[in-house]
Amino acid sequence: MASNRRGVGLSAFSNSAISADQYARHGQTLRSNHAEALANQLSVFQAALHNFSLTHAKDIRQNPQFRAEFARMCHAIGVDPLAGSNVKGSAGSGGKTGSVWAKMLGSSVNDFYFELAVRVVEVCRETRAENGGMIAVSEVRKRIEKGRGIIGGGIDVTDDDIERALESLVPLGGGFKIVPLGSSRFIRSVPKELNLDQSTVLEVMQILGHVTVSMLQANLGWERARAIAVIDDLVADSLVWVDSQADETEYWSPAAMHDG
Amino acid sequence: MASSSSSPAPPTLTSAYAAPPPTSISSQIASTTFTFPTYTSFPPFYTLQPNLTTRARQLTLWSNLLTTYCAHHRLFKLSLSFLPANLFANPSIHRTLSQPDIRTVLDHLALPANGGRVEWIPTSSRSEKPNSCWVYWRTPAEWADAIYGWVDETGQKGAVLTVYEIREGEAVQSQEWRGMDEELLRKVLSVLVKRGKAQIFGQEETAGVKFF
Repeated sequence: MASNRRGVGLSAFSNSAISADQYARHGQTLRSNHAEALANQLSVFQAALHNFSLTHAKDIRQNPQFRAEFARMCHAIGVDPLAGSNVKGSAGSGGKTGSVWAKMLGSSVNDFYFELAVRVVEVCRETRAENGGMIAVSEVRKRIEKGRGIIGGGIDVTDDDIERALESLVPLGGGFKIVPLGSSRFIRSVPKELNLDQSTVLEVMQILGHVTVSMLQANLGWERARAIAVIDDLVADSLVWVDSQADETEYWSPAAMHDG
Repeated sequence: MASSSSSPAPPTLTSAYAAPPPTSISSQIASTTFTFPTYTSFPPFYTLQPNLTTRARQLTLWSNLLTTYCAHHRLFKLSLSFLPANLFANPSIHRTLSQPDIRTVLDHLALPANGGRVEWIPTSSRSEKPNSCWVYWRTPAEWADAIYGWVDETGQKGAVLTVYEIREGEAVQSQEWRGMDEELLRKVLSVLVKRGKAQIFGQEETAGVKFF
């Protein structure tokens, strides 16, 4: 029976109000129990993960397969090993969880990818005049491996590592993008995007090493004017080098320049 | 470091020298075959690039090639009429840098802003374009440091050496400047004279040099 009057004391509560309140309190107890259990499990897990990364820090650093597996495992359990790696002290890109993971995983994983990202940026900058800001991931890897410092100089770096390192730069604002060209993957470090025609020509160049206007006409069915326009664009963006000593002017991808 | 005559070990760069030039001079001075960098097999390398950004990079690579090649072969001077066959050309890919382009490259390298690694040698007639140039894989200042350092470390300060001795003497057989063109050596010595570190007596090859 519902009471129309509200007042203090037990009579203020109707039956349904009492049971609703009881359910609410019971639910709350359950939730807080769960939360407590979860917090306990989490802290056990945190400790384990932290120890794991410390114990295997050396392996993570030196063994690219192990590193890839470790990254895969992290992703599988919903942890981004790089979250918060570039943000010191603040909440990190993943909210509160960011820096917590960074702390647990230990500095070595973050350091490795961060240092690698810095090296990648350096290589892109150093080679920009030569390749117009398009460089193959594999070429970046070769150059880094030849270099000195914590990265390179004997540490195995894979193409995978490089792409992962670049991802960690995303929160810092773009400027670096992976562009697939044919079967290769390139890093574009200049803001200008390639249109479809330009990408197509660069892809053809990846396969054949160089192109001529006639080759583009023959292989792509383009009109001469179109082929010339695209080539002119690529030259203007310093993406290709010109060889005028062949029977017909040849346009070369700088990717071949330092091979071997 | 004492200079040894006819030592079996290949000559090496000594620490008495000034800091190495920005282009990396490999210590390949002793090996007989010059290893050409991969970009010398890249056909466009021999075409002056129309894009100026690309060209700037190309000229840097030419500067590196020129200085390392000349350092390896101990060439102090280049003459446009008698260029080494495979310096500005790669016969295996049938590519050559044209004469006008060679001049453009050397002009570019002669600018102090670009390292000043080349200096044209003036011809007797003003209207003629110079046909030969010094290649400073070490600049005159760097050579001055090297020679003075050698004089100092071998305890020859105060002694009088002949120009010939400094160029060709037994004591300098393992030094980088051995066989240097006399004209260049005099240039280098005048750097030391200006610094107050040396004085030259007499003329020609019998001229004597005293270091302080």
